[in-house]
Amino acid sequence: MLYEIKESILLSFEALRTNKLRAFLASLGVVIGISIVIMMGWLLGGLDKAMQDTFSIIGTDMLYIDKWDWTGNDNWRSVRNRKNITQKQAEQLRKLHGSAEYVIPNINQWGTNIEYDGEVYQGMTAVGTTAENAFTPVGNLLLGRYFNEFEEEFGSNVIVIGHLVYATIFKGENPLGKTIKLNGRPLRVIGVVKKRGTMFFDFIDRQMFIPLKKYSAIWDVDKKSMSIGIKAGVDNNLDEVRTETIGLMRIIRNLKPNEPNDFSINETKAFEKSIETLRLNVYMIGIVMTSLAFIVGIIGIMNIMFVTVTERTKEIGIRKSLGAKKRSIWLQFLIESSFLCLMGAILSLVMCSAIAYFAATYLPDYFPEVSFLLPVLPTELFIISTVVSIFVGLLAGLIPAIRAARLNPVEALRFD
Amino acid sequence: MSKPIIDIKNISKIYQMGSQLVHALRDITVTINENEYVALMGPSGSGKSTLMNILGCLDTPSSGTYFFNNTNVRELNDNELAEIRNREIGFVFQTFNLLPRATALKNIELPLVYSGIKKYERIEKAEEALRSVGLEDRMEHKPNELSGGQRQRVAIARALVTSPSIILADEPTGNLDSKTGNDIMRLFQTLWESGNTIILVTHEEEIALHAKRIIRLRDGLIESDEINNNQVKF
Ligand SMILES: Nc1ncnc2c1ncn2[C@@H]1O[C@H](COP(=O)(O)OP(=O)(O)O)[C@@H](O)[C@H]1O
Ligand SMILES: [Mg+2]
Repeated sequence: MLYEIKESILLSFEALRTNKLRAFLASLGVVIGISIVIMMGWLLGGLDKAMQDTFSIIGTDMLYIDKWDWTGNDNWRSVRNRKNITQKQAEQLRKLHGSAEYVIPNINQWGTNIEYDGEVYQGMTAVGTTAENAFTPVGNLLLGRYFNEFEEEFGSNVIVIGHLVYATIFKGENPLGKTIKLNGRPLRVIGVVKKRGTMFFDFIDRQMFIPLKKYSAIWDVDKKSMSIGIKAGVDNNLDEVRTETIGLMRIIRNLKPNEPNDFSINETKAFEKSIETLRLNVYMIGIVMTSLAFIVGIIGIMNIMFVTVTERTKEIGIRKSLGAKKRSIWLQFLIESSFLCLMGAILSLVMCSAIAYFAATYLPDYFPEVSFLLPVLPTELFIISTVVSIFVGLLAGLIPAIRAARLNPVEALRFD
Repeated sequence: MSKPIIDIKNISKIYQMGSQLVHALRDITVTINENEYVALMGPSGSGKSTLMNILGCLDTPSSGTYFFNNTNVRELNDNELAEIRNREIGFVFQTFNLLPRATALKNIELPLVYSGIKKYERIEKAEEALRSVGLEDRMEHKPNELSGGQRQRVAIARALVTSPSIILADEPTGNLDSKTGNDIMRLFQTLWESGNTIILVTHEEEIALHAKRIIRLRDGLIESDEINNNQVKF
């Protein structure tokens, strides 16, 4: 039995070698099908990684109370009509909250200009916040340190800059101790945040953090809505913190029991949902395309196997006259069709590996949105392609193999 | 009394050709014992090959009974028939019927593969069979690298390798010149003398005369079945 399998594989290889073009054309559908499966897996792998990165930006133990819903799922009209979250409300929440580890008010000034060394840089975001922000994912620094409680208390002239700000302005030069100007106010750079941005959050590296007091000295705090970061803490229960937060916010915002929340709670969970939708779409498209390709592929392989069986009718007759059982005959053809598909899968894997490598290496230079692409195919794709191709081969080879096994030996021997 | 290997009674084979029925065999009854050397003689179309295919369990008769080594062949399923062909019967064909892509040795190994014999034993037996037909120096040659006579020797070695109860040869010299044909007939004689049972299908009187017993067929009927008193021996 084992020897028969080994012989059949050798025979299949031989047949493939003598008929390369025919074998290639026959397995084209399977090659396309497997390639789609691989590319789909590759894209999803990249999306997963992008999602993980996004989660680490947001923090899986963080809630962000905001006027705006970050995922855009809430009705935009009703969101726009919400009252701003004021600094006073943020302070109240900070004082009253019992279950959260940190409650951190944030206020954003988009499109801020920076002056440094006589040049003006546009499109950065100034964030006024507290020293406790250092304990959120933003506190992961590349250089220097975060500002402390004293600097926060005094509204010191210090600034922690995002990675893109650092890269744009300082171009690799040591930024620590250098002075940059925001709205004409000189601020000393004391820290640089590690690069964090992904396809979903590329703006995040443009952020610059200053003490909230300093912010209110530069801009009018009351014109903007605050965003409140809440860190549940490792051991704390996120659900409990969320419940308390909603309760407190409703009191602080003076909501009547029948009124809906006039604020959004943003957290990683919400992003999971929108990524899930994206995944689902990729899956659906992939499944439809794969099914089509595999139907074409199976027909192609089946066709070529019928031709092969006909070509080898005499051989089948000889084998039967020597005592081959039906099992031996169909095994031989099933192995041959699986082998053909497996070769197709290997071809697909080689092609897709090359595509993945070049796409991930060179495309993001032109299209930053696709920086989530992985340069190497996820390992499980190799296993999946192998298994799927063998399965397809078995499926496509089934009917031709049965036909071969059923051939009448006398007639088969007479065949020329 | 010697042991009957083949025992057929009232065998008929009818083919349907369009609306016409072809009686290839009519009411054939024959017994063939161990170590007999039988020639099935008859003109083309007399039913020799049809009978041989039935005797070789490649085909089934339309009616009649067939006992092979005291087993009723009608009661066997496909797998059991394959096993009989594998272990008990060695075929030799006019057109050799070797696998073109396999070497002589591999061709001879094939029946042993189907009987599930281990590799080293297969090679040993195949080499021995090749030696017995005098081709030990052609083991790695493929059929197209061998002459007609050599190909037929490989085919005979393949028929012998499982030590079958009987060797069925359908016009084994039909595609060979007379000198090479003679060599093959000499080989059959040696095999017979060393205890093998041989049924030789031929339409040539000269060839049939090498056998010990001659059964003459005509239009699917047995015309005569006699001991050959003029057996030609080498
Ligand atoms: N598969 C078949 N279908 C129809 N007729 C057949 C078939 N095989 C053989 N015959 C007929 O049966 C008769 C005997 O054929 P065969 O046994 O091959 O004769 P031989 O081998 O003696 O030349 C012939 O008339 C032949 O035409
Ligand atoms: Mg014939």
